[in-house]
Amino acid sequence: MPEPTAAKADKPKRAIEVLRERHGGMSKELKDYFNEQQKIYKALRAALKNGPRTVPQLAKECGLPSPTVMWHLMALRRYGQVLDGPEENGYLRYTLPGA
Amino acid sequence: MAEMRDRYDALVIGGGIAGMQAALDLGEQGFEVLLVERTPSIGGVMVGLNKVFPTLDCSSCICTPRMAESAHHPRIRLQTYTEVRSVEPVGTGFSVNLECKPRYLHEDTCIGCDECELACPIEVPHEFDYGLGARRAIYIPHGNAIPQKAVLDLEHCVFCGKCEKVCPTHCIDFTAEAKHARVDVGAVIVATGLDILPMDRKPEYGGTLPNVMSPLAMERIQSSNGPYGRVLRPADGKIPRSIAYIQCAGSRDRSIGVPYCSRVCCMYALKQALLLRHYIHDVDVALYYMDIRAFGKGYEQFYRRAVAEGVNVIKGKVARVTQTDNFDLILRVELLDEGGRVDEHRYDLVVLSQGLIAAWHPDGVIDIEDADDGFIHTPEIKLNPSFTTMPGVFVAGVAAGPKDIPDAIVEAGEAAMAAANYLKRYRWRSSKPAVAVA
Repeated sequence: MPEPTAAKADKPKRAIEVLRERHGGMSKELKDYFNEQQKIYKALRAALKNGPRTVPQLAKECGLPSPTVMWHLMALRRYGQVLDGPEENGYLRYTLPGA
Repeated sequence: MAEMRDRYDALVIGGGIAGMQAALDLGEQGFEVLLVERTPSIGGVMVGLNKVFPTLDCSSCICTPRMAESAHHPRIRLQTYTEVRSVEPVGTGFSVNLECKPRYLHEDTCIGCDECELACPIEVPHEFDYGLGARRAIYIPHGNAIPQKAVLDLEHCVFCGKCEKVCPTHCIDFTAEAKHARVDVGAVIVATGLDILPMDRKPEYGGTLPNVMSPLAMERIQSSNGPYGRVLRPADGKIPRSIAYIQCAGSRDRSIGVPYCSRVCCMYALKQALLLRHYIHDVDVALYYMDIRAFGKGYEQFYRRAVAEGVNVIKGKVARVTQTDNFDLILRVELLDEGGRVDEHRYDLVVLSQGLIAAWHPDGVIDIEDADDGFIHTPEIKLNPSFTTMPGVFVAGVAAGPKDIPDAIVEAGEAAMAAANYLKRYRWRSSKPAVAVA
Protein backbone atom coordinates (compact mmCIF):
# COMPACT_ATOMS: atom_id res chain seq x y z
CA MET A 1 0.00 0.00 0.00
CA PRO A 2 1.75 3.22 -1.10
CA GLU A 3 1.94 6.09 1.37
CA PRO A 4 -0.24 9.07 0.39
CA THR A 5 1.83 11.80 -1.19
CA ALA A 6 2.12 15.15 0.58
CA ALA A 7 0.23 16.79 -2.26
CA LYS A 8 -2.66 14.34 -1.87
CA ALA A 9 -2.76 14.72 1.92
CA ASP A 10 -2.92 18.52 1.61
CA LYS A 11 -5.65 18.41 -1.04
CA PRO A 12 -8.22 21.09 -0.16
CA LYS A 13 -11.60 19.80 0.95
CA ARG A 14 -14.40 19.84 -1.57
CA ALA A 15 -17.17 22.32 -0.83
CA ILE A 16 -19.66 19.50 -0.16
CA GLU A 17 -17.31 18.10 2.48
CA VAL A 18 -17.11 21.51 4.13
CA LEU A 19 -20.90 21.73 4.13
CA ARG A 20 -21.25 18.20 5.50
CA GLU A 21 -18.83 18.97 8.35
CA ARG A 22 -20.45 22.31 9.11
CA HIS A 23 -23.87 20.70 9.50
CA GLY A 24 -22.71 17.49 11.19
CA GLY A 25 -23.61 15.30 8.19
CA MET A 26 -26.88 13.41 7.76
CA SER A 27 -28.97 12.88 10.86
CA LYS A 28 -29.77 9.30 11.86
CA GLU A 29 -33.46 9.95 11.06
CA LEU A 30 -32.59 11.09 7.53
CA LYS A 31 -30.23 8.14 6.98
CA ASP A 32 -32.98 5.73 8.06
CA TYR A 33 -35.55 7.54 5.90
CA PHE A 34 -33.24 7.44 2.85
CA ASN A 35 -32.34 3.76 3.29
CA GLU A 36 -36.00 2.80 3.75
CA GLN A 37 -36.91 4.79 0.65
CA GLN A 38 -34.31 2.95 -1.43
CA LYS A 39 -35.68 -0.40 -0.21
CA ILE A 40 -39.23 0.59 -1.15
CA TYR A 41 -38.15 1.72 -4.62
CA LYS A 42 -36.27 -1.55 -5.15
CA ALA A 43 -39.33 -3.56 -4.15
CA LEU A 44 -41.66 -1.51 -6.38
CA ARG A 45 -39.35 -1.78 -9.40
CA ALA A 46 -38.99 -5.54 -8.89
CA ALA A 47 -42.77 -5.96 -8.76
CA LEU A 48 -43.33 -3.75 -11.80
CA LYS A 49 -40.84 -5.79 -13.82
CA ASN A 50 -43.48 -8.53 -13.77
CA GLY A 51 -45.95 -6.27 -15.57
CA PRO A 52 -48.36 -3.36 -14.96
CA ARG A 53 -49.74 -3.18 -11.43
CA THR A 54 -52.28 -1.13 -9.48
CA VAL A 55 -51.43 0.36 -6.10
CA PRO A 56 -53.33 -2.31 -4.11
CA GLN A 57 -51.63 -5.06 -6.16
CA LEU A 58 -48.20 -3.54 -5.47
CA ALA A 59 -49.02 -3.14 -1.79
CA LYS A 60 -49.95 -6.81 -1.55
CA GLU A 61 -46.90 -8.03 -3.50
CA CYS A 62 -44.43 -5.83 -1.62
CA GLY A 63 -46.03 -6.22 1.80
CA LEU A 64 -46.30 -2.47 2.26
CA PRO A 65 -49.22 -0.23 3.30
CA SER A 66 -50.99 1.10 0.22
CA PRO A 67 -50.61 4.80 1.25
CA THR A 68 -46.83 4.21 1.38
CA VAL A 69 -46.87 2.55 -2.03
CA MET A 70 -49.00 5.37 -3.48
CA TRP A 71 -46.65 8.11 -2.27
CA HIS A 72 -43.47 6.42 -3.46
CA LEU A 73 -45.03 5.38 -6.76
CA MET A 74 -46.08 8.98 -7.41
CA ALA A 75 -42.56 10.12 -6.51
CA LEU A 76 -41.17 7.72 -9.13
CA ARG A 77 -43.82 8.90 -11.58
CA ARG A 78 -42.88 12.55 -10.95
CA TYR A 79 -39.36 11.84 -12.15
CA GLY A 80 -40.31 9.66 -15.14
CA GLN A 81 -39.36 6.32 -13.59
CA VAL A 82 -42.92 5.00 -13.65
CA LEU A 83 -45.63 5.60 -16.26
CA ASP A 84 -49.43 5.61 -16.11
CA GLY A 85 -51.03 2.58 -17.70
CA PRO A 86 -54.65 1.69 -18.49
CA GLU A 87 -57.49 1.62 -15.95
CA GLU A 88 -58.47 -1.66 -14.31
CA ASN A 89 -61.55 -1.92 -12.07
CA GLY A 90 -61.39 1.70 -10.96
CA TYR A 91 -57.61 1.81 -10.48
CA LEU A 92 -54.80 2.85 -12.80
CA ARG A 93 -52.12 0.34 -13.58
CA TYR A 94 -48.55 1.60 -13.56
CA THR A 95 -45.62 0.41 -15.64
CA LEU A 96 -41.87 0.87 -15.91
CA PRO A 97 -40.72 2.96 -18.90
CA GLY A 98 -39.94 0.74 -21.88
CA ALA A 99 -41.74 -2.23 -20.35
CA MET B 1 -35.26 43.44 -11.94
CA ALA B 2 -33.99 46.47 -10.08
CA GLU B 3 -30.83 45.96 -7.99
CA MET B 4 -30.82 45.89 -4.18
CA ARG B 5 -30.40 49.32 -2.59
CA ASP B 6 -30.34 50.55 0.98
CA ARG B 7 -33.37 52.83 0.76
CA TYR B 8 -36.83 52.34 -0.78
CA ASP B 9 -40.09 54.20 -0.83
CA ALA B 10 -42.08 51.17 0.28
CA LEU B 11 -41.59 47.68 1.63
CA VAL B 12 -44.22 45.12 0.66
CA ILE B 13 -44.13 41.99 2.84
CA GLY B 14 -45.51 38.97 0.99
CA GLY B 15 -45.38 38.05 -2.70
CA GLY B 16 -48.86 36.61 -3.12
CA ILE B 17 -51.47 38.18 -5.36
CA ALA B 18 -52.20 41.06 -2.93
CA GLY B 19 -48.53 41.86 -2.32
CA MET B 20 -47.71 41.76 -6.03
CA GLN B 21 -50.67 44.00 -6.88
CA ALA B 22 -49.71 46.53 -4.17
CA ALA B 23 -46.07 46.54 -5.36
CA LEU B 24 -47.11 46.99 -9.00
CA ASP B 25 -49.55 49.81 -8.16
CA LEU B 26 -46.82 51.66 -6.24
CA GLY B 27 -44.20 50.96 -8.90
CA GLU B 28 -46.50 52.30 -11.63
CA GLN B 29 -46.93 55.51 -9.63
CA GLY B 30 -43.14 56.02 -9.68
CA PHE B 31 -42.30 54.70 -6.21
CA GLU B 32 -39.32 52.43 -5.59
CA VAL B 33 -40.56 49.20 -3.99
CA LEU B 34 -38.87 46.34 -2.15
CA LEU B 35 -41.05 43.22 -2.44
CA VAL B 36 -40.03 40.56 0.09
CA GLU B 37 -41.22 36.95 -0.04
CA ARG B 38 -40.23 34.33 2.55
CA THR B 39 -40.51 31.30 0.21
CA PRO B 40 -38.30 30.68 -2.83
CA SER B 41 -40.98 31.88 -5.30
CA ILE B 42 -43.61 34.57 -5.49
CA GLY B 43 -47.20 33.69 -6.41
CA GLY B 44 -48.53 32.74 -2.98
CA VAL B 45 -51.49 30.41 -2.64
CA MET B 46 -53.07 31.54 -5.91
CA VAL B 47 -50.39 30.11 -8.21
CA GLY B 48 -51.08 26.64 -6.79
CA LEU B 49 -54.83 26.78 -7.36
CA ASN B 50 -56.42 24.91 -10.24
CA LYS B 51 -59.12 27.32 -11.40
CA VAL B 52 -60.79 30.41 -9.95
CA PHE B 53 -64.50 30.97 -9.29
CA PRO B 54 -66.90 31.96 -10.77
CA THR B 55 -65.24 32.22 -14.17
CA LEU B 56 -63.33 28.91 -14.01
CA ASP B 57 -60.29 30.67 -15.49
CA CYS B 58 -57.00 28.87 -15.01
CA SER B 59 -55.58 30.35 -11.81
CA SER B 60 -51.90 30.21 -12.70
CA CYS B 61 -52.68 31.69 -16.15
CA ILE B 62 -53.96 34.80 -14.34
CA CYS B 63 -51.32 34.80 -11.63
CA THR B 64 -48.12 34.17 -13.61
CA PRO B 65 -48.32 37.36 -15.73
CA ARG B 66 -48.54 39.35 -12.47
CA MET B 67 -45.57 37.39 -11.14
CA ALA B 68 -43.49 38.12 -14.25
CA GLU B 69 -44.52 41.78 -14.19
CA SER B 70 -43.50 42.10 -10.53
CA ALA B 71 -40.16 40.39 -11.14
CA HIS B 72 -39.25 42.48 -14.17
CA HIS B 73 -40.61 45.86 -13.11
CA PRO B 74 -37.84 48.51 -13.18
CA ARG B 75 -38.95 50.00 -9.85
CA ILE B 76 -39.58 46.75 -7.96
CA ARG B 77 -36.75 44.88 -6.28
CA LEU B 78 -37.89 41.31 -5.68
CA GLN B 79 -36.25 39.57 -2.74
CA THR B 80 -37.39 35.94 -2.44
CA TYR B 81 -36.41 33.42 0.25
CA THR B 82 -36.04 36.35 2.62
CA GLU B 83 -37.52 36.95 6.07
CA VAL B 84 -38.34 40.35 7.51
CA ARG B 85 -36.79 40.19 10.98
CA SER B 86 -37.73 43.64 12.25
CA VAL B 87 -39.39 46.88 11.19
CA GLU B 88 -38.60 49.79 13.50
CA PRO B 89 -40.10 53.27 13.17
CA VAL B 90 -37.52 55.99 12.48
CA GLY B 91 -39.12 59.42 12.08
CA THR B 92 -41.97 58.99 9.61
CA GLY B 93 -40.20 56.04 7.97
CA PHE B 94 -38.91 52.63 9.03
CA SER B 95 -35.64 50.79 9.41
CA VAL B 96 -36.02 47.20 8.18
CA ASN B 97 -33.82 44.23 9.02
CA LEU B 98 -33.88 41.39 6.47
CA GLU B 99 -32.47 37.89 6.54
CA CYS B 100 -31.78 36.49 3.06
CA LYS B 101 -31.67 32.70 3.36
CA PRO B 102 -29.09 30.82 1.27
CA ARG B 103 -30.24 28.82 -1.77
CA TYR B 104 -26.73 27.33 -1.88
CA LEU B 105 -26.21 28.50 -5.43
CA HIS B 106 -25.40 31.68 -7.31
CA GLU B 107 -28.77 33.02 -8.43
CA ASP B 108 -27.26 35.07 -11.22
CA THR B 109 -25.77 31.99 -12.94
CA CYS B 110 -28.50 29.39 -12.16
CA ILE B 111 -30.42 28.85 -15.40
CA GLY B 112 -33.21 26.74 -13.86
CA CYS B 113 -32.32 23.75 -16.04
CA ASP B 114 -33.38 21.21 -13.37
CA GLU B 115 -30.24 19.07 -13.85
CA CYS B 116 -29.41 19.30 -10.14
CA GLU B 117 -32.89 18.14 -9.15
CA LEU B 118 -32.75 15.21 -11.57
CA ALA B 119 -29.38 14.13 -10.10
CA CYS B 120 -30.46 14.37 -6.45
CA PRO B 121 -31.15 10.87 -5.02
CA ILE B 122 -33.73 11.58 -2.29
CA GLU B 123 -37.45 12.36 -2.49
CA VAL B 124 -39.33 14.22 0.23
CA PRO B 125 -42.91 15.54 0.46
CA HIS B 126 -43.38 18.66 -1.65
CA GLU B 127 -44.87 21.64 0.17
CA PHE B 128 -46.35 22.96 -3.10
CA ASP B 129 -48.46 19.78 -3.36
CA TYR B 130 -49.29 19.83 0.37
CA GLY B 131 -47.23 16.68 0.87
CA LEU B 132 -49.09 14.57 -1.70
CA GLY B 133 -46.32 14.81 -4.29
CA ALA B 134 -42.55 14.61 -4.07
CA ARG B 135 -39.63 16.91 -4.66
CA ARG B 136 -35.94 16.39 -4.15
CA ALA B 137 -33.56 17.99 -1.67
CA ILE B 138 -32.46 20.44 -4.36
CA TYR B 139 -35.36 21.55 -6.51
CA ILE B 140 -37.06 24.20 -8.60
CA PRO B 141 -40.05 25.20 -6.41
CA HIS B 142 -42.57 24.48 -9.20
CA GLY B 143 -43.07 24.85 -12.92
CA ASN B 144 -44.39 28.40 -12.68
CA ALA B 145 -41.95 29.58 -9.99
CA ILE B 146 -40.47 33.03 -10.30
CA PRO B 147 -37.53 33.19 -10.09
CA GLN B 148 -36.95 29.86 -11.89
CA LYS B 149 -33.96 29.12 -9.65
CA ALA B 150 -33.19 26.00 -7.66
CA VAL B 151 -33.00 25.92 -3.89
CA LEU B 152 -31.22 23.39 -1.68
CA ASP B 153 -33.15 22.14 1.35
CA LEU B 154 -30.27 21.38 3.67
CA GLU B 155 -32.45 19.52 6.15
CA HIS B 156 -32.95 16.72 3.60
CA CYS B 157 -29.57 16.89 1.83
CA VAL B 158 -27.66 13.58 1.77
CA PHE B 159 -24.41 15.47 1.03
CA CYS B 160 -23.61 13.40 -2.06
CA GLY B 161 -22.44 16.41 -4.11
CA LYS B 162 -24.11 15.11 -7.30
CA CYS B 163 -25.92 18.42 -7.91
CA GLU B 164 -22.60 20.26 -8.01
CA LYS B 165 -21.13 17.76 -10.46
CA VAL B 166 -23.97 17.97 -13.00
CA CYS B 167 -24.60 21.73 -12.89
CA PRO B 168 -23.72 23.04 -16.37
CA THR B 169 -23.08 26.58 -15.13
CA HIS B 170 -21.21 25.60 -11.93
CA CYS B 171 -23.60 27.75 -9.91
CA ILE B 172 -23.85 25.47 -6.84
CA ASP B 173 -22.24 27.11 -3.83
CA PHE B 174 -22.18 24.90 -0.73
CA THR B 175 -20.31 27.59 1.19
CA ALA B 176 -23.19 30.08 1.03
CA GLU B 177 -24.52 31.51 4.26
CA ALA B 178 -27.51 33.65 5.26
CA LYS B 179 -27.02 37.35 4.66
CA HIS B 180 -28.46 40.21 6.65
CA ALA B 181 -29.40 43.55 5.17
CA ARG B 182 -30.73 46.75 6.65
CA VAL B 183 -32.83 49.04 4.46
CA ASP B 184 -34.77 52.23 5.11
CA VAL B 185 -38.30 52.56 3.76
CA GLY B 186 -40.96 55.25 3.92
CA ALA B 187 -44.01 52.98 4.21
CA VAL B 188 -44.82 49.30 4.72
CA ILE B 189 -47.59 47.13 3.28
CA VAL B 190 -48.24 43.82 5.04
CA ALA B 191 -49.66 41.26 2.59
CA THR B 192 -48.72 38.04 4.30
CA GLY B 193 -51.72 36.02 3.21
CA LEU B 194 -53.43 32.93 4.51
CA ASP B 195 -53.09 29.49 5.88
CA ILE B 196 -55.92 27.04 6.38
CA LEU B 197 -56.86 25.65 9.74
CA PRO B 198 -54.77 22.54 10.61
CA MET B 199 -56.53 19.34 9.54
CA ASP B 200 -56.35 17.80 13.00
CA ARG B 201 -58.17 20.65 14.77
CA LYS B 202 -61.47 18.73 14.77
CA PRO B 203 -60.50 15.09 15.35
CA GLU B 204 -64.08 13.90 14.79
CA TYR B 205 -63.73 14.82 11.08
CA GLY B 206 -60.77 12.44 10.61
CA GLY B 207 -58.46 15.09 9.19
CA THR B 208 -55.40 12.86 9.56
CA LEU B 209 -56.92 9.96 7.58
CA PRO B 210 -55.28 9.58 4.15
CA ASN B 211 -58.50 10.04 2.17
CA VAL B 212 -59.69 13.07 4.13
CA MET B 213 -58.05 16.04 2.49
CA SER B 214 -57.79 19.79 2.66
CA PRO B 215 -59.31 21.96 -0.07
CA LEU B 216 -55.83 23.18 -1.06
CA ALA B 217 -54.64 19.59 -1.51
CA MET B 218 -57.72 18.99 -3.70
CA GLU B 219 -56.74 22.05 -5.77
CA ARG B 220 -53.37 20.42 -6.45
CA ILE B 221 -54.95 17.04 -7.25
CA GLN B 222 -57.30 18.71 -9.73
CA SER B 223 -54.47 20.71 -11.34
CA SER B 224 -53.06 19.47 -14.62
CA ASN B 225 -49.56 19.73 -13.09
CA GLY B 226 -50.72 18.10 -9.84
CA PRO B 227 -49.03 15.25 -7.99
CA TYR B 228 -51.00 12.39 -9.61
CA GLY B 229 -51.76 13.81 -13.06
CA ARG B 230 -55.47 13.15 -12.42
CA VAL B 231 -57.93 12.85 -9.55
CA LEU B 232 -57.04 9.79 -7.47
CA ARG B 233 -57.37 9.14 -3.80
CA PRO B 234 -54.13 9.26 -1.79
CA ALA B 235 -54.56 6.04 0.17
CA ASP B 236 -54.58 3.60 -2.73
CA GLY B 237 -54.81 5.40 -6.08
CA LYS B 238 -58.49 4.54 -6.59
CA ILE B 239 -60.43 6.78 -8.98
CA PRO B 240 -63.02 8.20 -6.57
CA ARG B 241 -66.65 7.65 -7.54
CA SER B 242 -68.18 9.38 -4.52
CA ILE B 243 -66.82 12.48 -2.83
CA ALA B 244 -68.23 14.50 0.08
CA TYR B 245 -67.47 18.08 1.08
CA ILE B 246 -68.00 19.09 4.69
CA GLN B 247 -68.69 22.81 4.85
CA CYS B 248 -67.80 25.01 7.82
CA ALA B 249 -65.36 22.25 8.89
CA GLY B 250 -63.09 24.90 10.35
CA SER B 251 -65.15 28.07 10.44
CA ARG B 252 -68.08 29.49 12.42
CA ASP B 253 -67.02 27.29 15.28
CA ARG B 254 -66.18 28.84 18.64
CA SER B 255 -64.92 25.50 19.99
CA ILE B 256 -61.84 25.71 17.76
CA GLY B 257 -61.35 29.46 18.05
CA VAL B 258 -62.61 30.30 14.56
CA PRO B 259 -65.99 31.98 15.12
CA TYR B 260 -65.96 33.88 11.82
CA CYS B 261 -67.12 32.86 8.34
CA SER B 262 -64.13 32.34 6.02
CA ARG B 263 -66.15 33.73 3.09
CA VAL B 264 -64.60 31.59 0.34
CA CYS B 265 -65.33 28.01 1.42
CA CYS B 266 -68.82 27.76 -0.13
CA MET B 267 -67.52 28.98 -3.45
CA TYR B 268 -64.29 26.97 -3.63
CA ALA B 269 -66.20 23.83 -2.60
CA LEU B 270 -68.86 24.42 -5.28
CA LYS B 271 -66.14 25.10 -7.83
CA GLN B 272 -64.20 21.94 -6.97
CA ALA B 273 -67.39 19.88 -6.86
CA LEU B 274 -68.47 21.14 -10.29
CA LEU B 275 -65.03 20.45 -11.75
CA LEU B 276 -65.03 16.94 -10.28
CA ARG B 277 -68.26 16.35 -12.20
CA HIS B 278 -66.32 17.38 -15.32
CA TYR B 279 -63.17 15.35 -14.56
CA ILE B 280 -64.69 12.03 -13.45
CA HIS B 281 -67.53 10.45 -15.38
CA ASP B 282 -70.62 9.77 -13.20
CA VAL B 283 -68.96 10.80 -9.91
CA ASP B 284 -71.36 11.51 -7.04
CA VAL B 285 -70.38 14.74 -5.30
CA ALA B 286 -72.27 15.76 -2.17
CA LEU B 287 -71.81 19.01 -0.30
CA TYR B 288 -73.00 19.06 3.34
CA TYR B 289 -73.67 22.65 4.35
CA MET B 290 -75.18 24.83 7.08
CA ASP B 291 -75.79 27.86 4.79
CA ILE B 292 -74.62 28.57 1.26
CA ARG B 293 -73.04 32.03 1.21
CA ALA B 294 -72.71 32.96 -2.46
CA PHE B 295 -72.40 36.72 -1.97
CA GLY B 296 -70.06 37.91 -4.74
CA LYS B 297 -70.64 39.01 -8.30
CA GLY B 298 -71.85 36.03 -10.30
CA TYR B 299 -71.59 33.70 -7.30
CA GLU B 300 -75.30 32.91 -6.94
CA GLN B 301 -75.44 32.06 -10.63
CA PHE B 302 -72.43 29.79 -10.17
CA TYR B 303 -74.10 28.02 -7.25
CA ARG B 304 -77.18 27.37 -9.38
CA ARG B 305 -75.02 26.10 -12.24
CA ALA B 306 -73.21 23.66 -9.92
CA VAL B 307 -76.55 22.29 -8.69
CA ALA B 308 -77.90 22.11 -12.25
CA GLU B 309 -74.82 20.14 -13.32
CA GLY B 310 -75.36 17.52 -10.65
CA VAL B 311 -73.63 18.66 -7.47
CA ASN B 312 -75.78 17.34 -4.66
CA VAL B 313 -76.13 20.03 -1.95
CA ILE B 314 -77.46 18.65 1.32
CA LYS B 315 -78.39 20.75 4.35
CA GLY B 316 -76.82 18.68 7.08
CA LYS B 317 -74.42 18.74 9.94
CA VAL B 318 -71.72 16.06 9.86
CA ALA B 319 -71.02 14.62 13.29
CA ARG B 320 -68.06 12.39 12.51
CA VAL B 321 -66.02 10.67 9.83
CA THR B 322 -64.66 7.14 10.27
CA GLN B 323 -62.58 4.92 8.01
CA THR B 324 -63.32 1.37 6.87
CA ASP B 325 -60.70 -1.34 6.32
CA ASN B 326 -60.45 -0.48 2.60
CA PHE B 327 -59.95 3.27 3.25
CA ASP B 328 -63.56 4.22 2.42
CA LEU B 329 -65.11 6.83 4.70
CA ILE B 330 -68.39 6.74 6.63
CA LEU B 331 -70.06 10.08 7.35
CA ARG B 332 -72.52 10.22 10.22
CA VAL B 333 -74.74 13.18 9.45
CA GLU B 334 -77.80 14.95 10.82
CA LEU B 335 -80.02 15.76 7.84
CA LEU B 336 -81.56 19.14 8.66
CA ASP B 337 -84.10 19.11 5.82
CA GLU B 338 -85.40 15.73 7.02
CA GLY B 339 -86.30 16.80 10.53
CA GLY B 340 -82.87 16.11 11.93
CA ARG B 341 -82.81 12.44 10.94
CA VAL B 342 -79.40 10.90 11.57
CA ASP B 343 -77.98 8.80 8.73
CA GLU B 344 -74.69 7.29 7.59
CA HIS B 345 -73.26 7.60 4.07
CA ARG B 346 -70.20 5.94 2.56
CA TYR B 347 -67.72 7.93 0.39
CA ASP B 348 -64.43 7.27 -1.38
CA LEU B 349 -63.01 10.67 -0.50
CA VAL B 350 -63.86 13.54 1.86
CA VAL B 351 -62.76 17.17 1.61
CA LEU B 352 -62.92 19.34 4.72
CA SER B 353 -63.77 22.92 3.81
CA GLN B 354 -61.28 24.31 6.30
CA GLY B 355 -61.47 27.95 7.25
CA LEU B 356 -58.81 30.56 6.57
CA ILE B 357 -56.44 31.76 9.26
CA ALA B 358 -53.65 34.33 9.14
CA ALA B 359 -50.35 32.94 7.83
CA TRP B 360 -48.22 35.38 9.80
CA HIS B 361 -48.36 37.40 12.98
CA PRO B 362 -46.47 40.66 13.54
CA ASP B 363 -45.33 39.87 17.11
CA GLY B 364 -41.72 40.82 17.58
CA VAL B 365 -41.34 42.12 14.02
CA ILE B 366 -43.62 45.16 13.66
CA ASP B 367 -45.39 46.87 16.51
CA ILE B 368 -48.88 46.54 15.00
CA GLU B 369 -51.75 44.67 16.59
CA ASP B 370 -53.60 41.52 15.68
CA ALA B 371 -57.36 41.61 16.07
CA ASP B 372 -59.20 39.02 18.20
CA ASP B 373 -59.61 36.78 15.15
CA GLY B 374 -55.82 36.59 14.60
CA PHE B 375 -55.78 38.76 11.48
CA ILE B 376 -54.12 42.20 11.42
CA HIS B 377 -56.26 44.74 13.28
CA THR B 378 -57.74 47.44 11.03
CA PRO B 379 -59.13 50.09 13.40
CA GLU B 380 -60.62 52.27 10.62
CA ILE B 381 -62.34 49.43 8.78
CA LYS B 382 -65.09 51.57 7.23
CA LEU B 383 -63.24 54.57 5.80
CA ASN B 384 -59.59 53.45 5.75
CA PRO B 385 -59.74 49.65 5.53
CA SER B 386 -55.99 49.21 4.93
CA PHE B 387 -54.87 51.26 7.96
CA THR B 388 -53.26 49.34 10.82
CA THR B 389 -52.58 50.54 14.35
CA MET B 390 -49.31 52.16 13.23
CA PRO B 391 -49.16 55.16 10.85
CA GLY B 392 -47.25 54.26 7.70
CA VAL B 393 -47.97 50.52 7.98
CA PHE B 394 -50.83 49.26 5.81
CA VAL B 395 -52.38 45.85 5.26
CA ALA B 396 -53.79 44.14 2.17
CA GLY B 397 -55.40 40.83 1.27
CA VAL B 398 -56.16 37.96 3.61
CA ALA B 399 -53.62 39.28 6.15
CA ALA B 400 -56.46 41.63 7.19
CA GLY B 401 -59.21 38.96 7.14
CA PRO B 402 -60.69 36.23 4.93
CA LYS B 403 -61.57 37.36 1.41
CA ASP B 404 -61.62 36.12 -2.16
CA ILE B 405 -59.13 37.01 -4.90
CA PRO B 406 -61.02 40.00 -6.42
CA ASP B 407 -61.45 41.58 -2.96
CA ALA B 408 -57.76 40.97 -2.15
CA ILE B 409 -56.75 42.74 -5.38
CA VAL B 410 -59.08 45.69 -4.74
CA GLU B 411 -57.77 46.01 -1.20
CA ALA B 412 -54.16 45.85 -2.44
CA GLY B 413 -54.91 48.82 -4.70
CA GLU B 414 -56.39 50.69 -1.76
CA ALA B 415 -53.34 49.92 0.43
CA ALA B 416 -51.00 51.10 -2.34
CA MET B 417 -52.94 54.37 -2.65
CA ALA B 418 -52.90 54.88 1.12
CA ALA B 419 -49.14 54.22 1.19
CA ALA B 420 -48.63 56.66 -1.71
CA ASN B 421 -50.58 59.35 0.15
CA TYR B 422 -48.48 58.73 3.27
CA LEU B 423 -45.22 58.98 1.30
CA LYS B 424 -46.34 62.22 -0.41
CA ARG B 425 -47.54 63.75 2.83
CA TYR B 426 -44.15 63.26 4.50
CA ARG B 427 -42.17 63.92 1.29
CA TRP B 428 -40.27 60.65 1.56
CA ARG B 429 -37.66 60.20 -1.16
CA SER B 430 -35.70 57.03 -1.79
CA SER B 431 -32.08 57.73 -2.68
CA LYS B 432 -30.09 55.64 -5.12
CA PRO B 433 -26.93 53.41 -4.93
CA ALA B 434 -25.37 51.30 -2.18
CA VAL B 435 -25.68 47.58 -2.67
CA ALA B 436 -26.58 45.95 0.62
CA VAL B 437 -27.02 42.37 -0.54
CA ALA B 438 -24.96 40.53 -3.14
